[in-house]
Amino acid sequence: MIKVRIPTPLRPLTKGQGEVEAQAKSIAEMIETLNGSYPGIKDRLCDDTGELRRFVNMYVNEEDIRFLKGKETSLKDGDEVSIVPAIAGGSSCRI
Amino acid sequence: MSDLIIPQAILDDIVAHARELDPYECCGLLAGTNRTVTHVYRITNIVALEGAEKLSSFDPAKAAHLERLSPSERAEIAFVMDMQDFSAAKKDIRNKGLDLQVVYHSHPHDPARPSTTDIKIATDYEEIWPKINLPIPAYLLISLMEKSKPDIRLYWIKSGAVTAAHIAS
Repeated sequence: MIKVRIPTPLRPLTKGQGEVEAQAKSIAEMIETLNGSYPGIKDRLCDDTGELRRFVNMYVNEEDIRFLKGKETSLKDGDEVSIVPAIAGGSSCRI
Repeated sequence: MSDLIIPQAILDDIVAHARELDPYECCGLLAGTNRTVTHVYRITNIVALEGAEKLSSFDPAKAAHLERLSPSERAEIAFVMDMQDFSAAKKDIRNKGLDLQVVYHSHPHDPARPSTTDIKIATDYEEIWPKINLPIPAYLLISLMEKSKPDIRLYWIKSGAVTAAHIAS
């Protein structure tokens, strides 16, 4: 089993859970599995071509998948995947 | 919490970044060693990308407000870091043996102090930094309210509390 940490903005899709489990051998497979259990999550993480969106990062055991093999990064039992939202902020809502 | 030394050349570089993007918000990272900043990493503000506001930790009111705005209007009052740029910066910081020290962004129309949104997201991110092997950074704000006299201020944001820090240059 893979442990997946879900960031706050995605928790409405995982019924409020901050951590879920998935059976998968790669990041791509994990995203498909998660989307089966939590419909809509794939669309939030990947663009129309299936690539990881630019406002999200994923880490496998603290290593950025962009420097591993991206979505083809392999996973093994006990791995921990963190989905990390982009750092953001802004000034007051004056417009 | 001790303060940071940010050389004038680095401060000038950040102000130049803010002015280049004015009236849009700029964002980036500062890194260095021994509490002295030595490197600036400009990060692309991708708040105008479709869906960016949905996967950032904006509170529902701010996210709803951003969705009502045009892409360019969004970039005047918010930033979302391009995580491809962030990853590249993080890798360079590690390869050079530096520490991430500061997350910076500009407020083109507002004072150089953290907004409610800034405080919320910084607080949400406190639990994320250690998971991605980075220390909790300080936050630097650049205000361009007075175009000829940019105001630069540094803060620590911990558990929702904001503390002003001193910049030595």
